[in-house]
Amino acid sequence: MSDTTPMRAAGRGMIPRAAPRQRVPQAEGQPVIRSRDFTLLYGTKVGVQNITMDIYPQSVTAIIGPSGCGKSTFLRSINRMNDLIPHVSTSGRLQVNGVDVYDKRTNLVNLRQQVGMVFQHPNPFPKSIYDNVAYGPRLQGTRSRSRLDEVVERCLRGAALWDEVNDNLKKSALALSGGQQQRLCIARALATEPKVLLMDEPCSALDPIATGRIEDLIGQLKAIYTIVIVTHNMQQAARVSDRTAFFCLGELLEYDRTGTVFTRPANKRTEGYITGRFG
Amino acid sequence: MPELQRHVDELMRRLDRMGLHSQEAVRAAIAAVDTRDVAAGMAVSDGDGVVDAEEVAIEQECIRLLALYQPAAVDLRRLCFVIKANNDLERIADKAASVGRRVRHVVDDGVDLAQYDEWPDLEDLVTSRLDQTLRAISSLRLEAAQALIASDAEVEEAYSRLARHAIADARKAPDGVDLCVTLVLLARAVHRIGELCTNIAEDIVFACTGDIVRHADRREGGPG
Repeated sequence: MSDTTPMRAAGRGMIPRAAPRQRVPQAEGQPVIRSRDFTLLYGTKVGVQNITMDIYPQSVTAIIGPSGCGKSTFLRSINRMNDLIPHVSTSGRLQVNGVDVYDKRTNLVNLRQQVGMVFQHPNPFPKSIYDNVAYGPRLQGTRSRSRLDEVVERCLRGAALWDEVNDNLKKSALALSGGQQQRLCIARALATEPKVLLMDEPCSALDPIATGRIEDLIGQLKAIYTIVIVTHNMQQAARVSDRTAFFCLGELLEYDRTGTVFTRPANKRTEGYITGRFG
Repeated sequence: MPELQRHVDELMRRLDRMGLHSQEAVRAAIAAVDTRDVAAGMAVSDGDGVVDAEEVAIEQECIRLLALYQPAAVDLRRLCFVIKANNDLERIADKAASVGRRVRHVVDDGVDLAQYDEWPDLEDLVTSRLDQTLRAISSLRLEAAQALIASDAEVEEAYSRLARHAIADARKAPDGVDLCVTLVLLARAVHRIGELCTNIAEDIVFACTGDIVRHADRREGGPG
């Protein structure tokens, strides 16, 4: 869906539901991401419906749920990655830092600069390590070599990769290991100085060691960024996130502190899912 | 049914059986006191190894399941409950062994329990609480656990009455201090069984709700 594609009100195939339990205290600053009755349809098929939730700064929010529940759809809605899919329509409101994501006046480039994304499979550009990280700043107009050097070092350090690659920044990014490539992608996302980092199963293609490093990194990055992570790995959600949202059949069924969701979930379907009784 | 759930269900059944062992030990120990049967008391003490071995086996299985399945929600709560209740049931059996060993002192010191009306009250109360506790473990019913917690003070009162009576007797006849100490230590062990029942009831509440009600009145922020 391009910027000019008209947004249609969601309506067909939707079932009104009671709001899910949300005990997340709101005394931790203004939410960075605010969703109100946000609905996204693929044609007439519900991707997500009536999603109402606030995502807070300097925290990690995990979205979990069975395959096809809409968790990636919601994640990709935050920086409008679904725009390229035909027949997508949305309704309700989704805001990042007070800006309506789906407002026609919203500048998509600015939005994606603020909302970086890391995908399931590492996808470095077929360029050098340096050029991967410098790609975004160059697009934004940074030409100064010293400034670019500074950004590359800061982002590689931020992604806990600097010590492993600083002696050979001209090396092809494709020559790095899977875990290093994923951290490079994180460094690349940091280079545009985003406020939000979206991570769509960032460790599913990595071995346990590389996964552990990414999880450590997430723990460090949350001091600066608002992180939203989609994962199928329940233990990972429990380890890395402060809050967990459980999606099912396109709906948000439960949203609470992670410790609460994993020890005493309020919703039977949440409990059934995280204990492997369904899903 | 997921494999973890089957394993936890089996652990719950083992915990039931362990509870029956502990209950049998408590009944036998109290009967030995009432009949002043030193040999029967020592038999309770000698039999404590069975419960000890089962406690270790259950704990090992819990650790194995935690490591292999990394449970969450109801599975995690039930597994934590098994670990804690397993330990408390073993301690109940320990206390029964302690009561069994004290029968010798009761006989040697010439403690006449018939003089103390408070003793059968304490015995009945504790054995009844243990019965209720074992039923609550089997059913994992929140209401049953809450009823046990609510009546916790009764055991304390029964023990205090008996202790006060024994101390008053010791004051009247100072040469009866040994007798008083034997009686108070005996009553203390039985009283402790009642307290352990309350601990288990609190753990049942956790298994059902996720709330930690232990020391709730002393903790900031209340249960949870």
